[in-house]
Amino acid sequence: MIVVRAKPLEEVFDMVVAHERVLLVGCNTCAAVSLAGGEMEVATLVEALRLMAARRGRAIEFTGSVLQRQCEPEFLEELGDEGYDAVLSLGCGAGVALLSDTTKVPVYPALDTMFIGAAKGFASWQAECSACGQCVLGRTAGICPITRCAKGIMNGPCGGVKDGRCELGDRDCAWVLIYERLEAQGRLGEFGRFGEAKDHSVRSKCDVWDMSDKGGEPK
Amino acid sequence: MAAQKTGGSLDWSPMPPTVFAPCRSKCPAHVDVPGYITAIAEGRFTDALEIVLERNPLPSVCGRICLRPCEEGCRRCLLDEPVAIAMLKRAAADFGAYQHPKPRALRKESVAVVGSGPAGLTVAHDLAAQGLRVTIIEAKPKLGGMLRYGIPEYRLPGKALDRDISHILSLGVEVRTGVKVGADVTLARLGEEHDAVVVTAGLQSSRVLEIPGAHLPRVLAALPFLEAAACGERTGIGKRVVVVGGGNVAMDVARTARRLGAAQVDVVCLESAEEMPASRQEVEEARLEGVGVHCSWGPREILGEEDVSALDVVRCTSVFDEDRRFSPVFDESETRRFEADTVIFATGQGADIGDLGIETTPRGGAVIDPQTMKTSIEGVYAAGDVVTGPTKVIDAIAEGHRVAACVIRDLTGDTALLDGLDQESDTLGEVPESMRYKVVTRRRVQMERLEFYEAVGTFDEIEAGYTEYEAAREAQRCLGCTTGARLVREKCASCLTCVRVCPHNAPNVKYRGYLIFDAEACHACGACASQCPAHAINIEGHSEEEMDRRVETVLAGSAGDATMQFACGCTPLLPELGLSDPRTLTVTCLLRVSEATVLRALQHGAGRVVFTGCVEVNCRYPYARELVARREADIRALLRQMGMDDALIVPEATDEDEGVHLR
Repeated sequence: MIVVRAKPLEEVFDMVVAHERVLLVGCNTCAAVSLAGGEMEVATLVEALRLMAARRGRAIEFTGSVLQRQCEPEFLEELGDEGYDAVLSLGCGAGVALLSDTTKVPVYPALDTMFIGAAKGFASWQAECSACGQCVLGRTAGICPITRCAKGIMNGPCGGVKDGRCELGDRDCAWVLIYERLEAQGRLGEFGRFGEAKDHSVRSKCDVWDMSDKGGEPK
Repeated sequence: MAAQKTGGSLDWSPMPPTVFAPCRSKCPAHVDVPGYITAIAEGRFTDALEIVLERNPLPSVCGRICLRPCEEGCRRCLLDEPVAIAMLKRAAADFGAYQHPKPRALRKESVAVVGSGPAGLTVAHDLAAQGLRVTIIEAKPKLGGMLRYGIPEYRLPGKALDRDISHILSLGVEVRTGVKVGADVTLARLGEEHDAVVVTAGLQSSRVLEIPGAHLPRVLAALPFLEAAACGERTGIGKRVVVVGGGNVAMDVARTARRLGAAQVDVVCLESAEEMPASRQEVEEARLEGVGVHCSWGPREILGEEDVSALDVVRCTSVFDEDRRFSPVFDESETRRFEADTVIFATGQGADIGDLGIETTPRGGAVIDPQTMKTSIEGVYAAGDVVTGPTKVIDAIAEGHRVAACVIRDLTGDTALLDGLDQESDTLGEVPESMRYKVVTRRRVQMERLEFYEAVGTFDEIEAGYTEYEAAREAQRCLGCTTGARLVREKCASCLTCVRVCPHNAPNVKYRGYLIFDAEACHACGACASQCPAHAINIEGHSEEEMDRRVETVLAGSAGDATMQFACGCTPLLPELGLSDPRTLTVTCLLRVSEATVLRALQHGAGRVVFTGCVEVNCRYPYARELVARREADIRALLRQMGMDDALIVPEATDEDEGVHLR
């Protein structure tokens, strides 16, 4: 799932301050699951912006709505953006982009898109994937070095590891985790294999992924 | 706010509305008990009263004297003791304001109701509420039937009864008192004047056992005795009274006799202590008032020449035969003599409708077709004790609803009421083992009442009733059965936040990956609904819109600098804040106050918001404090970004035990 989080209120308000009628659009898929873009968060943001506008002496109308998924054109047919001069999206980057494609008025992001992650528990997610386009999880025991290593290195750990922790101090060292799991799986022999550098052009070559007429081959 | 619908592939409702809490199932009238108790827990007594009145037009009466089958069903029975449901109903009647709705457009059909006991009053209420013209014909000078003339003042004061009656009459019911049908007016005449007649005459005659000495002057029957006492007669009782009978009427007679000055009152009955039809509480209270209760004795002879001198009894070894038929067996070798100057028989009542001309049973009750509630005469219906024999008040109310629904169907063709009564329902199962240890044990809040030595000297009401605060506290013991989480599947984003915040694991995904809610495990704390990003979980009686409406009402007329206090229902005394224009809204749990609600309050007249939390050391909702603290932090963070750091105030929790249980 794509994990998103709310931008600071001030930043959001400044984006829409020049408008008069703003439509807030939530997304009932990843953004809702991230507890940042569901009907509840839309309602909260509508009220916060109204209060903010009143305190700043600005006459801006805010209205809330929710779409099932902002990254599907069919769901966007019910956008209902007539009469608004701006849209504020509570979706991920893809949602903002498709909304911008669909409506004539400016679309602003109310959220920051963080990563592809897995739920750890109540209101908590682990970053697990950076969508690099060349998955190596098979030989890293399901732990992504690109995502979970602060440096994103393919051969670790680096010298900054201490007691299994990253020198940044906010996380475990991904490469120590990889080592431990490979060991638990009896695959330590694979640990020493050299990790080839990522080809970053893969992502830039894949602008559209169309499976409809290519039998699964990229265009 | 419009939400897109997804194609739900599983049409499965986690808690269909026809699942009743056991309290509601056990109530013959199916009063929405959890609904009104929830309202009381938030101090909304008028809302609570309205909910009771939907199914029970006599809340003030039933709040005092109902035999409370509901409490036997209470799911708290397994944990500590049942919620004091009847006493809470009384609190609703005591503190709620009876709304007097104008009846719907008046219809032309008119109905005469013969008798004004609980069944008759219910019929009158239901018919008048539907716009029919109703006339109550009552033989006695005042309305109420046995409620007024059979139940003593100390249990049901006349003015408590009058509260309910005046509400019913406010619907536009006409009353003719002092008119005995059969003597003053014939049933046929009533049939000509009205489109239908409903006979709810009750059981008006008392039986006196035909034993030797029964003709003596100080041998009395229960009902005339109770009626005289109810009418204010305070003389004519001896010093030593023996009451024959083992039901609640016998207890009423005995306790009334004590209040009329009898020094020694003994109750003798055929049944053993376990078999006695009187409620245990009634027997216990009679004993505490000094009444001797002697079980397994059968009256043989009343001794005395001019006056009663004693009652001879003989041991009764069994009352019922193998088929539970009344067939007493006596052991003549064991006898006992009770000295007495008065003997009162409370050995059953019978119907007194011989003059009406409708078909009766061998015992004198009205014969009806149970499908139509019609008697042998066209257009004449009957219900209540006159049909069923002696039952509880709440049974009579339920029968009243049914006959009213039949009359409405027959006269107007509208079957909605009858369909409602016939709607099938399931009952919620008992509290699952996994949940029991998490529910905080808490004893019932005791009610202020006269001590028994004080009570026997007066006809004053024994029970004082709860204060508003005590009622709210007692109501908070309710487990909220069936009022808890309901999933709106079309809105659910499957984020599983509910699964993660529920203290009882009510929501789960064990069913093939679909989210389902186990209603039996739900405590209605609202944690899930408070955190659901999709607003996909409903809690009965609670919604964002409802909260907004209540905030608006509380803030009405404020000049923009009000102090909006959201208080947990457990808070006994609100803190002295010393802030301007304080307004308070009590909620079941602060979790019901969303961020949006707070922000709206700040836009609509509140200059600041106070979160007054729960004072309980052990909050009844596990996890609630943690989640409330989280919400406070979130709100504070938002306000800080707006430069409104001071707009949220959270007073220090005092953790005081206010000690209402210890009184």
